[in-house]
Amino acid sequence: MAISRVARVGAIAAISALALTACSTGGTDAPGASGDCAPSDGPVTLTFTSWLPGVEEAVAIWNEENPDIQVEVQTGPNGNGGTYQNFFNQLAAGNAPDLGQIEFDAMPNFRVQDGLENIAACEGILEAEDQFVGWTWSQVTFGEENAVYAIPQDTGPMAMFYRADLFEAAGIPVPTTWEEYEAAAAQIREQGGYINNFSQSDINAFAGLVWQAGGEWFSNDADGWTVDMTGAETTQVAEYWQGLIDNDLVAVYPPWTDEWNAAYNSSELWTWVSAVWGANTIASGAPDTAGNWAVAPMPQWEAGASAAGNWGGSTTAVLKGSDHPYEAAQFALWLNTDADALTAMNRTANIYPATIAGAQLPVFGEGVEFYGGQKIYEVFAEAGNNVDPNFTWGPTMTQVYNDVADGFSGAVSGNGTLLDALTAGQDATIAALKAASIPVKE
Amino acid sequence: MARDTVVKASKGVRHRGALAVFLLPFGVLFVLFYLVPVLYAIYQSLLTVEREGTFGPAVQVFGGLTQYIAVFQNGPFWESIGRVLLFGVVQVPIMLGVALVLALLLDSPLIRGSKFFRLAFFAPYAVPSVIAAIMWGFLYSPNLSPFTAVTSNIDLLSADAVLWSIANVVTWVYVGYNMLIIYSALLSIPQEIYEAARIDGAGQLRIAWSIKIPLVVPALVLTGIFSIIGTLQLLTEPQVFQSFSNAVTSTFTPNLTIYSTASVPNISLAAAMSVVLALTTFALSFTVLKFTQRRTAE
Repeated sequence: MAISRVARVGAIAAISALALTACSTGGTDAPGASGDCAPSDGPVTLTFTSWLPGVEEAVAIWNEENPDIQVEVQTGPNGNGGTYQNFFNQLAAGNAPDLGQIEFDAMPNFRVQDGLENIAACEGILEAEDQFVGWTWSQVTFGEENAVYAIPQDTGPMAMFYRADLFEAAGIPVPTTWEEYEAAAAQIREQGGYINNFSQSDINAFAGLVWQAGGEWFSNDADGWTVDMTGAETTQVAEYWQGLIDNDLVAVYPPWTDEWNAAYNSSELWTWVSAVWGANTIASGAPDTAGNWAVAPMPQWEAGASAAGNWGGSTTAVLKGSDHPYEAAQFALWLNTDADALTAMNRTANIYPATIAGAQLPVFGEGVEFYGGQKIYEVFAEAGNNVDPNFTWGPTMTQVYNDVADGFSGAVSGNGTLLDALTAGQDATIAALKAASIPVKE
Repeated sequence: MARDTVVKASKGVRHRGALAVFLLPFGVLFVLFYLVPVLYAIYQSLLTVEREGTFGPAVQVFGGLTQYIAVFQNGPFWESIGRVLLFGVVQVPIMLGVALVLALLLDSPLIRGSKFFRLAFFAPYAVPSVIAAIMWGFLYSPNLSPFTAVTSNIDLLSADAVLWSIANVVTWVYVGYNMLIIYSALLSIPQEIYEAARIDGAGQLRIAWSIKIPLVVPALVLTGIFSIIGTLQLLTEPQVFQSFSNAVTSTFTPNLTIYSTASVPNISLAAAMSVVLALTTFALSFTVLKFTQRRTAE
């Protein structure tokens, strides 16, 4: 009897404790409100979740120099691969890490879910604006006054990786416009290869192509969001790639698979229009082709133009509920501006810094052996300057990527077109926004 | 009778303390990791989000059946349920049929080395399903497979074929497990029945058909219901196959749909989908159980 009563009390206590934690979704107090970002007393330990390979090395430098502000790194899968979902769950449970890696395209989602601390009031943050490439700063401020929601880390200006040896041997000129690219695709197909792979699940890469063309899927003002995934520029890009797919001029391997790597390694695929960090992807995925690659600017829609898109790039954000926003902000700023930290992160993860000075680091002036000794970062630096700064991401990009990828996977197997997929994706996105009660203008 | 009950009841009272000690570990874990999450999911499914302005903070409010209406209007969710039902209608009978044949072979006195085969057939179940899916994914890949002669001509990962390629993986993993359940049911059949059958002149085939199979029907029903539940909850294999095939969408199975809805994040809708899926599974298992019980009774 006695035991059972104890057990009952224990069980009830356990349940109510659990119910209480479940109910207290996040703190209601907002220490990040402008005006209060004071240093904490005494030693501080911060938690930082990132999926950047080898980020521990850069953090070790900080920990060495700042015995009172120790940072613990937790690693996870890439953002859309699970870390974002973890962040959202942790935010709901009120135990998110102090700092998290968040890509530019996911920033509005975290903002809408109220997952970010505004660190504008923290010392030195607003003043840091000048150190960063212009468009990256507008991505973390959302264009608001007195608001900074994260510190930009790296960018992904896009260019064209191509097999210089194959192009030369076949006597095909390296394409500078998308028209020439299509002509080259036909010639390469005659030789048995493919000019590129249409990566059906890399919707953010497709968005980079739309970005280059001057299109924009989302915009917002005080009244709500506008979704436009079938505008003139998007249609142009979608129809162009649809033509390549229809005429069997591009391969359709699922990207990021061994099958896809093998196609590059076996010289079946001749180019990849990708971001700066892709340099690492090819080098590790297609080791047999070392020395044969080169980098040229993206093909253009208008001859002589120099527009570039961007694919990827991250920020370091201070997540809602952090007890030490001041220290967290200082660390985030240091991590992404300090020359030693940026060099370390470039060495382990090939990141391309979002700071203006970062792009001048010695490592970016060197020739890269895998690319025949070409100083490839000069091409990307140029591309970075040509990225349209006013590109806005939507507040539910994980959903947008899923829905459009579902449609694209139908399109590559002959079921519908890319434009159909984008139209359906737009409808699904509007529905998702409404479901989250995010105001949409139609 | 009446006295029996009284005695039993008083015994129960006397041992209530001991009972609690033995039940406590199970009870606490059951409540914490089963009941509470289920109740929390139901609670979540009744909420909806409200916010003001473009970046206005979200407030969760009671939404009644809003999320359930959204579930019933969600095309991809019902398509995914249709897809796994089609999968189940084809795959479950095949898998249980193979499992039954293997169990009968193991039980037959004509087979030598049945211990070895019992282990060999069961071994795939010991392979974690993620590993099994990755292994089969490579076997199916057009250019990486050791059987490129087949895979480069027949695309086993295409939109038309991938569901059945996954069915093959699931069958490979679970056939041995189901075989073992049926086999243990076979072992519990009293030898006298066989003896009587042999005296009546029945051969091995006749014994299998007229005695063994009817007597393992309860085991078949059990494995059948487990398989239906497993089919409706398919997640691992299709998720792994997303990295091998273009054709596995983010709403390929109900659980994948729930997973991608939760990562939007739209937790309340995902919770409502989970509840609807659980009820569908329950209804289906119950129907199968009733149907087969009536059949057995006849």
